[in-house]
Amino acid sequence: MTVRPGYYLRVLAVSMRTSLVTAMQYRADFLVQGAMSLLWTGLALFPLLVLYGDRDTVAGWDFAPALVVLGLFTLMRGVLEGAINPSLMAVIERIRTGAFDYTLLKPADAQFLVSTTRFAPWHVIDVLAGAGLVAYAFTRLGRAPGVAELAATLALLAAAIAVMYSLWILIVAAAFWVVRMDNLAFLLGAVFDAARWPIHVFKGAWRFVFTFIIPLALMTSYPAMALLGTLTVEAALACLGGAAAFFALARAVWLLAIRNYTSASS
Amino acid sequence: MIEVRDLKKHFKVHKRPPGLGAALRSIVHRTYQTVEAVDGVSFRIERGERVGFLGPNGAGKTTTLKVLSGLLHPTSGEVTVAGHRPQRRAADFLRQITLVMGQKQQLIWDLPPAETWTLNRAVFGVNPADFDRTLAELTELLELGELAQKPTRQLSLGERMKCELAAALLHRPTTLFLDEPTIGLDVSMQVTIREFIRAYNQRHDATVMLTSHYMDDVVALCPRVIVIDGGHIIHDGDLRALVKAMLPDKRVSFSGAAAADVLARLGRLVSRDGARTTLEVPEARLREVIGHLLDGDGIGDLAIEDPPLEDVMRKLFKGKPSEPPDAG
Repeated sequence: MTVRPGYYLRVLAVSMRTSLVTAMQYRADFLVQGAMSLLWTGLALFPLLVLYGDRDTVAGWDFAPALVVLGLFTLMRGVLEGAINPSLMAVIERIRTGAFDYTLLKPADAQFLVSTTRFAPWHVIDVLAGAGLVAYAFTRLGRAPGVAELAATLALLAAAIAVMYSLWILIVAAAFWVVRMDNLAFLLGAVFDAARWPIHVFKGAWRFVFTFIIPLALMTSYPAMALLGTLTVEAALACLGGAAAFFALARAVWLLAIRNYTSASS
Repeated sequence: MIEVRDLKKHFKVHKRPPGLGAALRSIVHRTYQTVEAVDGVSFRIERGERVGFLGPNGAGKTTTLKVLSGLLHPTSGEVTVAGHRPQRRAADFLRQITLVMGQKQQLIWDLPPAETWTLNRAVFGVNPADFDRTLAELTELLELGELAQKPTRQLSLGERMKCELAAALLHRPTTLFLDEPTIGLDVSMQVTIREFIRAYNQRHDATVMLTSHYMDDVVALCPRVIVIDGGHIIHDGDLRALVKAMLPDKRVSFSGAAAADVLARLGRLVSRDGARTTLEVPEARLREVIGHLLDGDGIGDLAIEDPPLEDVMRKLFKGKPSEPPDAG
């Protein structure tokens, strides 16, 4: 399919508008979800406060830098739950019921369509709260990150989003073969939760797994280190390269899955 | 135009006997079986034709429609629809066809149908002027009225189907694959949908391929039927010719009393429902039988009809699990 950026932007805009209308349809739900987002952010602070209550440093991370990791975790969770999870959960359901057929009947790239079917707008609160935590951490440090650090962080966050998204696409692709993927989806959510801690907290095999297999380090610790100015250029480039490779892999698996797709009831 | 040559679609399915033990074993060791859903099917449908696609459960109807609309890759054989190979799912191909599945829905559950239509307008790249014109036409033909603004979850099944049809036709496709579009609808809604399909076919010279649970749909809409069974075509041609070949006798029905022994001489008794009697009479004897009946006292309301398509199907698929034919 030829790439038509204008066309895809228009479809994306309509799709986001539809999600917003859906969210507004249930006003009470919208408010409750917003409040929940704030509550979770607040609760996420507790373990960190307890941990740093009687010590100054954990695995080489002081409180303020660890708070930057938590802030980025909150931000990334907002992106994940607001822009990535809803669509892909919906797709898994559609594959199970066979309604996915209608997606394949549309003259647009199917991966694009399944990735943009649903958004959960209230998770903007998570993103703002996360950014707030990072800003607060820097006031505690008594300095502001430089422009280069900020740019590197944004690039790494984009890479991290690409990786999370790619993981999801791989799960959805797997759903074509095994149909029921809800549990794996929840497992991914649970594992992602570990990204609230700096990667150095994990030892040995876990650190390896969370760096290379399920790249949690890339999602929060590395962007935080970039923001704090402690990440090497080589590591940053490796992250970007790895994310690009992961994205390409997910795309290839997706195309293969579509080829093998046979709908739920034939 | 649709052209299908020696189409085969085979599935590999996981097979396990019933029971918990077998379920546990199947987690470790799975046995597979190949199902020949469609096994060497060929036909050609010209632009503007309305063709009924009939067969019992699991005959391969839905599989064929899915191959024709690009959802399934054929195992072998050649398929051309509107000048395209469907499995490539080219954007230009998808803009020319539509597949309506009576048992699945594309309307967004929580929102009014108009939102789904707007989304489809963007996805199909329909320009606003064409969109408005088509929507106005569909609104008139389907009598959509206020339905567009009601949340989908509040619509009745029939209202929802009308809106599903609108969603499927807003890009004005010229090839329509309709898989059980009237399933579960009441009789008057079935008639509405049927009339709509005919009107759309005539206005846009659209090709229609229809499967239906209800033989009335097929009789009303499709001069030609293709009958498929076990993945093979067993009839392709005129609907009347099929009826004549399978059940050559006519149905003669009338109201009024007639003695049992007289009836037995006239033809085979099909039913006696209150004052109304229906007989099966060979065409060659029709004149004689009618004459006799008209001579009789108190006989009126005489009608001569073809046997119902249901009976034809029943005879065709004798011993098959589903009668009348169902989604397959």
